[in-house]
Amino acid sequence: KDLKLADFQPPSHFVVGSVYEPFKKSVETATNGEVTVTFYMGGELGPGPSEQYNRTVEGVTDIAFGLPGYTAANFPKTLLTELPGVIDAATGTDHILAHMDMLSDEYRRVALLGLWNNAPNLLLSASKPIRTLDDMKGMKIRVPSRNAGLVVAAWGATPVSMPAPDIYNAMQTGVIDGAMIDATALKAFKLAEVTKSVTQGMKTTISSFFLIMNRDSLADLTDEQQKAVMEAGKQAARNGHDAWESTAKTVLADFGSTDGKEVITLPAEEAAKFDAASAPVVERVISEADSSGIKASAFVKALKSN
Amino acid sequence: MLRGLERLSNGLEKATIALTVIGGLCLLGVVVVVTAGVVSRYVFGAPVLGVNEIVELTAVALVMSALPYCTARGDHVAVDVFDGMLGAWGRLLGDLLSRGIAVTILAILSYRAVLKALDALEWGDATNMLQMPLWPYYAILAVGTALCALVFAVQFLVLAAKGPRS
Amino acid sequence: MTPVTVGLIGIACLFVLLIIRTPVAFAMLAVGFFGYWALEGSRSAGGVLLTESYSAVASYNLIIVPMFVLLGNISAVAGFSRGLYDAAFAWVGRFKGGLASASVLGCAVFAAVSGSSVATAVTLGRVALPEMRRLGYAPSLSTGAIAAGGTLGFLIPPSTGFVLYAILTEESIGRLFIAGILPGLLLTGLFIAAIWIVATLDPKAGPRGEPMALGERFRVLGEAAPLLAIIVISIGGIYAGVFTPVEASGVGAALVILLALARRRLTFSGLKEAVLNTLSTSAMLYMIVIGANVLNPFFAITRIPEALGDGLVALGLGAYGTLFVIILAYLVLGMFMDGLSMLVVTIPIVFPVIVGLGFDPIWFGVVAVIVIEMGMITPPVGLNVFVVRGVAGDVPLTTVFRGVLPFLVAMIVGLLLIIAIPGIALVLPNSMFG
Ligand code: NA
Ligand code: NA
Repeated sequence: KDLKLADFQPPSHFVVGSVYEPFKKSVETATNGEVTVTFYMGGELGPGPSEQYNRTVEGVTDIAFGLPGYTAANFPKTLLTELPGVIDAATGTDHILAHMDMLSDEYRRVALLGLWNNAPNLLLSASKPIRTLDDMKGMKIRVPSRNAGLVVAAWGATPVSMPAPDIYNAMQTGVIDGAMIDATALKAFKLAEVTKSVTQGMKTTISSFFLIMNRDSLADLTDEQQKAVMEAGKQAARNGHDAWESTAKTVLADFGSTDGKEVITLPAEEAAKFDAASAPVVERVISEADSSGIKASAFVKALKSN
Repeated sequence: MLRGLERLSNGLEKATIALTVIGGLCLLGVVVVVTAGVVSRYVFGAPVLGVNEIVELTAVALVMSALPYCTARGDHVAVDVFDGMLGAWGRLLGDLLSRGIAVTILAILSYRAVLKALDALEWGDATNMLQMPLWPYYAILAVGTALCALVFAVQFLVLAAKGPRS
Repeated sequence: MTPVTVGLIGIACLFVLLIIRTPVAFAMLAVGFFGYWALEGSRSAGGVLLTESYSAVASYNLIIVPMFVLLGNISAVAGFSRGLYDAAFAWVGRFKGGLASASVLGCAVFAAVSGSSVATAVTLGRVALPEMRRLGYAPSLSTGAIAAGGTLGFLIPPSTGFVLYAILTEESIGRLFIAGILPGLLLTGLFIAAIWIVATLDPKAGPRGEPMALGERFRVLGEAAPLLAIIVISIGGIYAGVFTPVEASGVGAALVILLALARRRLTFSGLKEAVLNTLSTSAMLYMIVIGANVLNPFFAITRIPEALGDGLVALGLGAYGTLFVIILAYLVLGMFMDGLSMLVVTIPIVFPVIVGLGFDPIWFGVVAVIVIEMGMITPPVGLNVFVVRGVAGDVPLTTVFRGVLPFLVAMIVGLLLIIAIPGIALVLPNSMFG
């Protein structure tokens, strides 16, 4: 039985070597080669991130890489992890994996193989460096999600939503002044070419990725094979977390050491102003989620506890 | 027989034209929403979050309400390079087979869209920023493709009844 | 049966369906759907059909098509397109094929900025084709010029082709954009040369007009001013960073409607006609995009592109021999596949080979983009040709394919020049970035 793994990222992306190759090897070894994995990178089975969840639900692919944020309505609890301060970028994946059972009600249409957090989102600016909270006033900033939009608005900027591949042109022409996205995008989407400065140091949103699997494809496997795939998925999440974290570090260091580019790390008192502005947003989102009946506070508390 | 079919065909054509009223409103609506988004950003300094979602969903309604009309008008592009070579019977059989295939595939698509609409309704699928429910748009997809299939089916019958023509 | 065999059968079926006059969109849909079924079962095939149909239509960036088509249709019923072409005729009509050349220049500018070949062909086609016919141009020349001119948008920045190539190969987008400028101008020039040759060989294809007095020419230019102004605002607005291409299409359509109303050139029946035509053209185009979106995953799982790539590496033909075979393979794939999907599937295989042979990666990006442009106008699946056919009224597809032939030759000449003199692509980026 061959499992199709679909990803919209280019075949040259580091996810192949650091996450998929080990995943494939571990599935194939554990099943004595009875279950194999084939990668379809670069959107070969359908372009873009937004339909990855549907492609898995409908059985276009057996396994897909995706971002829960693109179908936010299906993952309100999962997306609590992106709010500033809910998880720590370094330890977040372990905390999520430890409490994955609390998310099971959101993964009934597909099987969740692995969920890991990206490096924290940064503020990329095309021309004007962001050194203080006041600098953000009136800036048009691309945001990756609704929650991120609320945070950016709380910081005084105007959020604009657009897909990641469109950011380059929009920043170059000045349609937006900056973007909220993680450091790896400086390289993956070539944003370093149109970014003058990067600001970090405040609590910010942290996006997450997942590997999901079609329920029928999983049910077609024997119990042992299913276990092998699920185990390999958890390991893939850990590998994914480490790969994104280390790539983000390298890319950001490269960026900072390039002539004319600057990495701004906010001093503690300035970062505190950002955090004070975003804190009410976080509280509001969690309490709204609670009142819609998804036990948000309990999940957030569990994530923060160990 | 033929006269009855032609009456059916004319009636269906009227229905497709009626449907374009929705398509036309969607088209002009998109123009207004996109322009309003620009004006709001520059004149009032407040971009409208989620314009892209309104546009995407309206596009589904626009295209699917126009599809049966486009089909009734015979506006789909086909390769006409081999028309002479095919002969009258070849053209007739080709046209019948083409329509048969189109009806089959549209019927399957429509059926899957119905299932998806029910699924999306059950799970509350919605857009990210504005949280607009998605099921009505899968339903529109189902209706548009079903009507398009119907138009092709009637064309099939009319062609079959008329027989080969030079 | 191996996936490659199924893929080859699929291609054969596609040919048969096209020959028996199955609408192109449904031929692609049928082969993609039943092919996926043969390899992955009915549930997966239905899934592809549903998700790709829905996502192709629910696309933010594609809305540029109906809105620019509406702009063109309103311009037509309000008589603005006529004014524009009267002016173009007054200024360049005395040259052989002058209007066709002017249209190619218009395409280059429009495509450069909108970034969409389809939007260019459809908008310019809607405005230009009836007017060129009115002024005596042969449909083959006018449709060929628009279909080919539209592809220039891929080469002249900003270009989605270069962005994708850069992401796939980790090259610089900025460098690629700059590298595309001279080849883009070269191709534009070659297109105009092709028009001149066609009009010389067949004077009826692109007839010359009477020379006009300068004062008269400026008077006619005034008639063209409204549409020109709208085009300048929407196209200029993109370059100035005021708005995105989608916003430009919306603002452009809104402005042309307002202008037509203000000048009392838009009746209710005129609006109705423009909207109905826009709806029908849009539905036709979206169906073709859906067809391509369903066909592409099928080709991906057949692994035919990989087989082609591995095969050419095994040939061991030396640098230029391999390059030639790669270009040939691209032309063959380009007959059936959508250009961007083709890049995604082939670049990972071809790129290391090319770099290993010592070719410049930026230069190859330019070559690859030109070859993909050619795929948009080669039969049997040539997206731009279908688009132009769709807005050209009753012009047979055969005529359009015949019309693009001189432009295909021009592209081959351009390609050979860029291979012989890589500096055409590299001199600008190398001097700017070192
Ligand atoms: Na362009
Ligand atoms: Na082609």
